[in-house]
Amino acid sequence: MSEKHEMPTFSAGVEHHVAQFLFERAQPLLLQFDENWQLVNLHGDPARFGFDPDHADAAARQLRDLFLGMPLDETIDLPFVHMPNGRSAHVHLLGDSEPGFQVLLLDAQGEHDRQQAQQQVGNEAALISGQKSKAIAQLRQIRSELERQRMRLAEANALKNALIATLSHDFRTPLTSIFGYLHLLDTQASQSASVRHALRALRRNSNYLFTLAENLLEYARADTRSSMLEPVRVDLAHLVEDLEGMFQPLAADQGLEFTIGVELLDAQTPVLDELRLRQILVNLIANAVRYTKKGGVGVALRWQDGALSIEVRDSGIGIAEELHEQVFVAFNRVRQAAGSGAGLGLSIVKRLVSQMHGSIDLQSRLGEGSCFHIVLPGLASVVAAPQAGTDETPALGSSRIRSVLVVDDDPDICYLLDAWLSDLGFRVRIVGDAGAAVESALADPPDVLLVDVELPGLSGNTAVFRLRAKGYRGHIVTLSATPTEEARKVALNAGADQYLTKPINIEVLARAMQAATPRR
Amino acid sequence: MTAPARKVCMLGDFGVGKTSLVARYMRNTFSDTYLTTVGVKVDSKEVDLGEPGVLKLVVWDIAGRSVLDALNMSYLRGASGLLLVADGTREASLRTAIDLLLQSRSVLADAEAVLIINKLDLVERWEVGPSTLAGLRQTMPVIETSALSGDGVEQAFLELAKRLAR
Repeated sequence: MSEKHEMPTFSAGVEHHVAQFLFERAQPLLLQFDENWQLVNLHGDPARFGFDPDHADAAARQLRDLFLGMPLDETIDLPFVHMPNGRSAHVHLLGDSEPGFQVLLLDAQGEHDRQQAQQQVGNEAALISGQKSKAIAQLRQIRSELERQRMRLAEANALKNALIATLSHDFRTPLTSIFGYLHLLDTQASQSASVRHALRALRRNSNYLFTLAENLLEYARADTRSSMLEPVRVDLAHLVEDLEGMFQPLAADQGLEFTIGVELLDAQTPVLDELRLRQILVNLIANAVRYTKKGGVGVALRWQDGALSIEVRDSGIGIAEELHEQVFVAFNRVRQAAGSGAGLGLSIVKRLVSQMHGSIDLQSRLGEGSCFHIVLPGLASVVAAPQAGTDETPALGSSRIRSVLVVDDDPDICYLLDAWLSDLGFRVRIVGDAGAAVESALADPPDVLLVDVELPGLSGNTAVFRLRAKGYRGHIVTLSATPTEEARKVALNAGADQYLTKPINIEVLARAMQAATPRR
Repeated sequence: MTAPARKVCMLGDFGVGKTSLVARYMRNTFSDTYLTTVGVKVDSKEVDLGEPGVLKLVVWDIAGRSVLDALNMSYLRGASGLLLVADGTREASLRTAIDLLLQSRSVLADAEAVLIINKLDLVERWEVGPSTLAGLRQTMPVIETSALSGDGVEQAFLELAKRLAR
């Protein structure tokens, strides 16, 4: 049974009060029209709603537009209608006024304002929320795109590393041949002075070419890993002689005075990474000569207290103090603006010095020349202390002839190693691939296995692994053109005892062979 | 002689620019401050259509809604034409405009309709694609507008007026 709600009854006084209250709030305006929308009568204040009492026609037109298309004999309620004066009104058509009709306007501005404020907040929040969602979606898309880019870059970087590895091998292998044969020719006593001069020029320029190529490779390797140091005993006097031969003619062509000298104030033989040291010096001196138009370039080396101090001073264009940091950045505009060159050399120098645990200092002012000062600690602790009388190529020997199996696919390298190792007193066998190496080493185990990593088919590391797995106990020296710590670890993990990188220095090889076949 | 009049209702989600379109068309003004419409604002303008003569458009700018409630339905009574408005930068507002058209058919079965995609000045941020608009043009006139610059606004009202004068 439904419950019927009845309007409660109030006293006449209360009802009158309520009516008065509502009346004052609504400020009703009643307009009475005939069937032709002619204003017949009005009650209330038309100005409150923006109507001009003197122009009833205009008001009639506006209200008629409001009910356009609607049946005029019904009661129609239109809440919150915007009036000509901007106020909001509830508009009611009262269709019970025969033969015309009445339109009742009730002020709704207060209610309108409250609703508008409420809706404004809600709508703005919804719009902002939509924009936020859109921004989040865009951020997700950007992140996804960045991830794709990162993958592509990683792929490109892997390709770059593979290319560098290939280039490194391709540079080092032929240079091994060139340096090796130059050494062989140097040792021949029958050379005339002019031939020796020519050989020296060849060696100097090969060194220079090698240094330039190494600069590029060093730069490209930068982001991957630090190359391992290769400490050797360095003949600084010989190095200085080489550098003088390399740069003296160049400086003379430019009318510059070029001086270079070395002081050996420590009885201990310097042990350094010679290749990196040479790169540092070549880059610094080449820069000094390039940026000096008059005056001179002076290079001073001092080996003292187990450290090498290098000073390269020039009277060139100099570098403004605020640019001192920039010149060590690769491809910097400072050096490019000053002349030829990619601005690569000093960035390489800084990196090499850092790899050798050294320090570099620059003193220079614009127009007043430059002075680079480098200190490189010796690496004596890294290599075994040389035995007495071994400053020259170490002598090898024992009561019986030692055997070595050389595994390399490059005939020139094989020939060179054959010559060197024979000179060192070894009986040499040569094979060209990993399979033959395993077979030969198992059939007639050599005292030393000298194996190249980069072989056709199975790698040298695989051959080493297989031989160790089959019980080969001889000494294994792995050769590679890849001068990285990772490559060294891989080779040693496979079972090698030593890891040498190309180009091979005969002194390093001799020391390695000495370690492989100690005197008994 | 009084020009014949037709009631036209602006329908669309909140914030799509209905009030701005009316202001641009009626008074050639624009304000970039968003102010929610409550209820309805009625404006009128006579359009000279040439051969058919002059038509008076009585334009009802109705508060934006995503669905038509009883109140909105009461505002629609007597309308001959609908200007459906969507915001090109909010694809959801286009779906709302289409939904509103379908809902309005219960009370306005024969009303002419023109679809306005507003905010052409922000076209680089539009979510509504050209292929979507090409598909919609198969069923109704679609006009891209910018209440800010005025582009397309006159054309949209004129298009509806022509259809109402037939």
